Amino acid sequence: MITQVSHPVLEVHDLTVSYEQHPVLWNVDLSLPAGKLIGILGPNGAGKSTLIKSIMGLITPTSGYVKIFDKALPEVRSRISYVPQRESVDWNFPASVLDVVVMGTYGKLGLFRRPGKKEMQVAQDALEQVGMTPFASRQISELSGGQQQRVFIARALAQQADLYLMDEPFAGVDMATETAIFQLLQDMAAAGKSVLVVHHDIHSAMNFFDWVIMLNLHLVASGPKEQVMTEELLRKTYGGKLNLLTQVTDLIRKQDFNPLQR
Amino acid sequence: MEDFLYFFTFQDPSITWVVLGITLLGIGSAYVGTFSFLDKKALLGDAISHAVLPGLCLGFALAGEKDPRYIVTGAFLSGALATFLSSWLKKITKLSEDSIIASILSIFFGIGIVFLTVLQKSGNPEIAGLNSFIFGNAIGIAETDLLLYGGLSLTIILVLSLFLKEFRLMVFDPNFGQAIGFPIQGIRFIFNVLMILAVVIGIQAIGVVLMAALLITPAAAARFWTNRLSTLLILAGLFSVISAILGTYISFVIPQMPTGPWVVIFLSSIALLSFLLAPKSGLLPRLFSRKRYVKQMHRDHLMKALFKAKEAKREVLSLEEIRALYPFHKKEIEHSLQVLTKQGLLIQDPQGVRLSPQGTSDAMRIVRLHRLWELYLNEFLHIAPDHVHESAEQMEHLLTPELEALLEQRLNYPALDPHQVTIPREAHDA
Repeated sequence: MITQVSHPVLEVHDLTVSYEQHPVLWNVDLSLPAGKLIGILGPNGAGKSTLIKSIMGLITPTSGYVKIFDKALPEVRSRISYVPQRESVDWNFPASVLDVVVMGTYGKLGLFRRPGKKEMQVAQDALEQVGMTPFASRQISELSGGQQQRVFIARALAQQADLYLMDEPFAGVDMATETAIFQLLQDMAAAGKSVLVVHHDIHSAMNFFDWVIMLNLHLVASGPKEQVMTEELLRKTYGGKLNLLTQVTDLIRKQDFNPLQR
Repeated sequence: MEDFLYFFTFQDPSITWVVLGITLLGIGSAYVGTFSFLDKKALLGDAISHAVLPGLCLGFALAGEKDPRYIVTGAFLSGALATFLSSWLKKITKLSEDSIIASILSIFFGIGIVFLTVLQKSGNPEIAGLNSFIFGNAIGIAETDLLLYGGLSLTIILVLSLFLKEFRLMVFDPNFGQAIGFPIQGIRFIFNVLMILAVVIGIQAIGVVLMAALLITPAAAARFWTNRLSTLLILAGLFSVISAILGTYISFVIPQMPTGPWVVIFLSSIALLSFLLAPKSGLLPRLFSRKRYVKQMHRDHLMKALFKAKEAKREVLSLEEIRALYPFHKKEIEHSLQVLTKQGLLIQDPQGVRLSPQGTSDAMRIVRLHRLWELYLNEFLHIAPDHVHESAEQMEHLLTPELEALLEQRLNYPALDPHQVTIPREAHDA
């Protein structure tokens, strides 16, 4: 059940990714419509984060390519915003909330130029959108998990992009914050932005997403929520890995080199 | 004392030069070191500083004398080789980073010592100066050499200031940096070059063995005092400069005394003081606030006992009765009695001890908090009434007026606690 669209905001073409000798994504081929709130669902180790990182160019795929706004990544980088997983950074780093959010403006600033008044204002506005204005000068080490997550989302907003890629923005977030953030993301989608979110909770996915991608090492489904959120597809996604695929993965790992790498 | 005045009044222009040079060196290395400390790459600095020795010796052998240009170039190249090897080995092997760094450190240093010994046997009269590269001798640096070391330090400081935003991103969130299109690999390369340079400029003054201390210790000490990157950089620079100048002074006063070990001693003292004294994170402030808390706890308990006696219609307790309540805390009880009487919360007269009106109100609050918390645990956390006392014993000293108001509201201003005892309130509140 894979729905392809014309004039996609994002096109992933036959993407295969492996870490060293460990294939984690097999031939993912999908295209996504603009102005939608899109969820990536799948069990642990299904390759959800890997897909986002490959789209962002942080991992080099073994084969396949990604096109965003019908162009290669470097040409459209300033229109894409990325929220890494919260645990990927050291929150004891000496920085204030505002310091981190201002990093969102670095991309447009480029090298060497220091953030000025305009960038500070952009950061403040982004903080207001996530309801973190009172915390602007707080040290990031003093934040709760949910607050850290909101700081990361504010940083992404400060990038003022058209496509947002978010890796588990709801991990460690309480219900009230989750609903507030989803509301914000829906507003962004309504304003024509495309938002791609790695998510693990099927229940809230049902409520909030317009479009759902289901992954389990391979692409199980990609399409409008009403069409793909079926019991059969969910069972395919969450009901364990394909036995044959796992065996092939093991076979590749036993080689002395990576046969997938050209 | 004469030496002290002579040194610190800078009558001797050569001392002025050395102090100026060592100041730049201190700031430069602390600056680079702060970033590598935050990046959790402290060990790499140590490896590089040991790894410059073979290149340094080769530079000397090629020049045939202590020409700083040859020595700096040689040292830089061998430091660069070590840095490259460690990242290359990490990429192609499954060895852990610390074992790679430890091996590189000892292999390079071992080779360096072999070279040094060979040079010493060669009979070159210039060789005496080479020994100072092991532990450093700041006072022995010639003015022309100082120009080179000072210039390099200044370059490091300038480049780091220019790249402040980029290095901050590289350390905090390199993935994000890469995602927004910053050449993080290139930035890391520049940073590594600066790090090697920071080691190289210090080898003459501090020595290869101890240079890592000047990179990392200032940042580690400064981290106790601040949570801001800008303050951290300034403090680290300050600590480093103070220690470096003091170390140089010792080398000046005591002939043949190497500078490096003394710099390390001063730096470690600063780090130790920071560890002990820094507010909030320091050992002593934490100990004292704990002590203050325990004292307050004892006072609260005494007030509570008097209040409960009052509830049982006994306004006055004799001193003997009070002491009998806490047989294991005799000293604390005497202290509490003294302080509370002085604060006007207790009144002592020949019959014994009673609460003053203000004391009654304060004691009532403690008892109220205790019983409110018990009720909260019972109603909201479903903890049995006979299991709630312990936690309430702790919370009664901690809960703020805001939390008290919230508790009252959530529990809807209850009259009784889980043990069916009245929750006491002021007449006008009740």
